[in-house]
Amino acid sequence: MSFTIANTIDDVLTALAAGARPIAGGTDLVVGARQGKAPLPADLVALDRVDELRTIGPEPGGGIRIGAGVTHATLVHDATVVGAATSIADASALVGSPATRHVGTLGGNVMNGSPAMDTGAPLMVLDAAAELRSLRGTRRLTMTELWTGPGSTAAEPDELCTALVLPAESDRSGSAYVRLEYRRAMEIAVVGAAAAVTLADDGTIARLAVALAAVAPTIVAVDVSAMIGHRVDDNVLAAVALAASDTATPIDDLRASADYRRHTVGVMARRAVDAAVRRAGGEPIGVPVNRSIGIGVAS
Amino acid sequence: MTSTIDATTGDTPRFVRADGPDKVTGSGRYTADLTLTGMLHAAFRYSDHSHARIVRLDTAPARDMPGVFAVLTQADVPDVHYGPSVADRTLFANDVVRYEGDVVAAVAAVTPELAAEAAAAIVVEYEPLPIVTDVEAALDPDSPLVHAGWADYRSGDVRDRNSASYSSITKGDVDAAMANADEIVRSRYVADASHGAPIEPRAVVAEWEGDHVTIWTSTQVPYDARAGVCETLQLPTNRVRIIVPHLGGGFGGKCGFHFEAHVAALARVAKRPVRLKFSRAEEFLVPDRRREGMVIELESGVMRDGTIVARRGRAILDNGAYTADAGFFPQVAAMHIAGPYAIDHVAVEAHIVYTNKQPSGSIRAPTAPQACWAAESHTDEIADRLGIDPVELRRINAVDEGRVGPSGQTYGEIGLRRCIDIAPGLVGYGDELPDDEAIGVAIGWWPSFSVPSGAIVKLDDDGYGQIVTGAQECGTGAVMTLRQLAADELGIEPERLRMVYQDTSVAPFDLGATGSQTLFNNGRAVVAAAAQVAEQLRQLAADRLEAAPDDIVLAEGAAHVAGTPDRSIAIDELARIASGGELLIGHGSGTPPAAPELSGSSCIGDNGMAAWVAPQFSCHAVRIRLDRDTGVVRVLHVGAAHDSGTIINQIGALGQVEGGVMMGIGQALTEGTRYDDEGRQRNAGLLEYKLQTCADAPPITTEFVQIATAGAGPRGAKGLAEAPNVATAAAVANAIAHLVGRPVRHLPMTAERVWTAMHRTAEQEAAS
Ligand SMILES: Cc1cc2nc3c(=O)[nH]c(=O)nc-3n(C[C@H](O)[C@H](O)[C@H](O)COP(=O)(O)OP(=O)(O)OC[C@H]3O[C@@H](n4cnc5c(N)ncnc54)[C@H](O)[C@@H]3O)c2cc1C
Repeated sequence: MSFTIANTIDDVLTALAAGARPIAGGTDLVVGARQGKAPLPADLVALDRVDELRTIGPEPGGGIRIGAGVTHATLVHDATVVGAATSIADASALVGSPATRHVGTLGGNVMNGSPAMDTGAPLMVLDAAAELRSLRGTRRLTMTELWTGPGSTAAEPDELCTALVLPAESDRSGSAYVRLEYRRAMEIAVVGAAAAVTLADDGTIARLAVALAAVAPTIVAVDVSAMIGHRVDDNVLAAVALAASDTATPIDDLRASADYRRHTVGVMARRAVDAAVRRAGGEPIGVPVNRSIGIGVAS
Repeated sequence: MTSTIDATTGDTPRFVRADGPDKVTGSGRYTADLTLTGMLHAAFRYSDHSHARIVRLDTAPARDMPGVFAVLTQADVPDVHYGPSVADRTLFANDVVRYEGDVVAAVAAVTPELAAEAAAAIVVEYEPLPIVTDVEAALDPDSPLVHAGWADYRSGDVRDRNSASYSSITKGDVDAAMANADEIVRSRYVADASHGAPIEPRAVVAEWEGDHVTIWTSTQVPYDARAGVCETLQLPTNRVRIIVPHLGGGFGGKCGFHFEAHVAALARVAKRPVRLKFSRAEEFLVPDRRREGMVIELESGVMRDGTIVARRGRAILDNGAYTADAGFFPQVAAMHIAGPYAIDHVAVEAHIVYTNKQPSGSIRAPTAPQACWAAESHTDEIADRLGIDPVELRRINAVDEGRVGPSGQTYGEIGLRRCIDIAPGLVGYGDELPDDEAIGVAIGWWPSFSVPSGAIVKLDDDGYGQIVTGAQECGTGAVMTLRQLAADELGIEPERLRMVYQDTSVAPFDLGATGSQTLFNNGRAVVAAAAQVAEQLRQLAADRLEAAPDDIVLAEGAAHVAGTPDRSIAIDELARIASGGELLIGHGSGTPPAAPELSGSSCIGDNGMAAWVAPQFSCHAVRIRLDRDTGVVRVLHVGAAHDSGTIINQIGALGQVEGGVMMGIGQALTEGTRYDDEGRQRNAGLLEYKLQTCADAPPITTEFVQIATAGAGPRGAKGLAEAPNVATAAAVANAIAHLVGRPVRHLPMTAERVWTAMHRTAEQEAAS
């Protein structure tokens, strides 16, 4: 049994190569162990003091690089993220409670691989890549490549996720994440949907991506290519909702029936696209969308 | 007099709770924080089936483990059946297990991990028995029995097979009145079971010294816990001492006697102190304190002018595997499905029925939130049928001074009408609303419980003193308010009095934090005890000031002669003088007020719960918004008007209403237990059992209607802890029904259930 407090990425990689498991905020790992999901790993390496993992900055050659150790609390307020990857801020703002957001990290959310994770759908629609490093080298996987099933990723045990890298965003772009929730804190997504859109000069859709949370074994993308070139109107939004419901392969569980999930994920997708388009058009919709125009908005 | 309290303005009397700083700063100690030298840890072996006969029980594998000091089964404790309503239970499952949380064996070992391992190592073989989960089917004469030997149990209740207790209230001639009614409205509702869900999972620590045992336990009712230990371990009262450290909430879930005897028995065998500490899952699954599920059928005969002339009703309550304190539930449920209405012809009845699920027991206002939800949804269905404004319909039919309630009780001056007049306006009833918003209104009632209670008050030589009481603080602040009452009698600041409580060997008896009764009964006792000390002070002052004792006024820390404030002596000085003489000590209990007379009604299975001393009344109005695409409901504003008599501690009272309302919103929208086909709860955790959070709390505007009520407690106070939990869910339901176009007949009214109701066809609705 060992607990290594790492100060540098190299410290971490060495510990991982020796068989340790990374622990960031511990809000999945420790809570899961307490609930009996899986025993706490015998050897742990703590990431929280590795400064290199906690920065947000430009990616050389364009785009944004978000360190895997950045907490949700930081993501909610970071000007770069709120400005250019708003849907991630929407998602982080909904995670757990202030305490959860204060210690829980983006890397932990992504690497935990839950199909209900909130930042997953935003990362997918923003075309993010996960940077994985080990003593053997560095590689990048798309989110689709990374998530292989509920709670599983394509990362090797000795690989550390160092950052999530987002490509540069064009002008007139916007993104949004909306989730169905039964209460306003300490909730887990019943279903969720993210959308990212770029508008052409004439206001038609130049690029659109939609992804769904908690309706399939992993976060799934919706094929919305048919919407390209159209102006967003009720017909397009209805078609998005339909496509999302068709893509979903939800289960019945304590939180909802499959039928209800299939219906509501369409509602979430439509709302996400609507909010993303409005943001792309310059309308300032506050973070998170759920509290600005979404479900259960207070008067 | 009515008073609106706004917690933000600060112009209300501030009253800092003596236990507040401890709890807020984290320095307060709870039972699970206690560690005694040589202490062992307890673990239970629970049943592996919801209903089965134990055919083999072998504890040797556990006993043989090094570090295990005691392993107990029913064979190791006295053969006693116990239970406050029906003696249907033994400490350990004897030959039959009846629910998933039935305790088969207990282990004490050096670590919690070892104790758990040893409990798991015990070999139990079973022969499965048929599992009863559906309350309606359980009443069928052919249903399998949960207790084959039911007829032999000691009980005062009306029972038959799976029906553990039955009650009815009959008044007038319902058949004839129905036949003459202009309209008949029929409804059926189903409420899922829910939980009190206190933040502190329970803990018990026991230590023997010779043949005396001290038990520290997170109970709301220390004397009840003591009686349970004495009964099941066959000990005289004087050998058992119960101490309650800070209690992290109870909501009724920690009423009754729970596991104190198991831990004491382990400690006796192990010859070491033992601590039991529940996990969150155990706290959900094991105690005999679930808020019972209920099926309610109602039928009302009504006239076109809005008069409800007849009410027929039947409620079937899910008892679970054992009866706990639920024997009186049918009668209270009957009162709630009849409701606070002056209906001339009434025939209501209720059964509480055994199933192979967790036992039910008193959770905050037992039976009321579910029964009121059904009855008040039904009231709105009547209003809808008659085309009468629902608030007006309630005004027409509500009980009031001189009117006769469903059980034949005639009321003096009560505040229900005033509550109905006030609450809707607090949330803008009648204003134009957006088309996804609506307001629902409901009324509720709840008795005050009149029982014996005692207290001691003493002042020391410095003029500071103690209130020694058996009353238990469970978070309501009621115990803390006792200082105000005593201080007023003595003419000193409340801060001069410390509470000495939570110890059965120190203080006189009190029923505990149950039935909203602390201020009502222990307040009476404290006033009586303080009055004796006040009398002593007046006598001492009279001697020094050369006046008659009756002319001495105690105020602002001094005794003075009435009319001449200059002729005074400090209470500190009197206390110093008394310390050299007969000492300042008072004790009291006071006479509990008698139950009112009932006339013209008859009750089968009467538990004394149809005649209500100093009843409390409320009206809640709730404004909601419905997301029509998803069925998600958000509560935007709650208006609560309460007649709970005189309000002594306004901030505390406001906290009770706000907490009760939030619990009611949870019951309405998100809190419900879910079971598998074998009666096992599937959502025994805080992720899937969805309590409301601070982020969900809407503004809550409260008004108190304060009028003199006959039979009320000290200074006209009634209870207040349970009343605010009665009508909220019903008001939410009525708001939802306005937007959906029909009631959602299943509690909690989850988003999915609301959405399903919205999409139900007329035929489906008729069939439901
Ligand atoms: C009360 C509560 C509420 C929650 N609410 C939400 C919610 O609303 N939405 C939501 O999505 N989640 C929620 N969660 C889950 C959790 O908080 C998030 O997933 C969080 O982002 C996890 O981050 P962490 O740093 O705590 O991860 P950890 O628990 O430290 O790690 C999670 C997993 O990822 C691995 N890991 C961590 N960092 C790395 C890395 N850099 N490289 C490789 N592997 C890594 C760990 O080994 C572990 O397997 C909640 C949790 C709690 C306890």
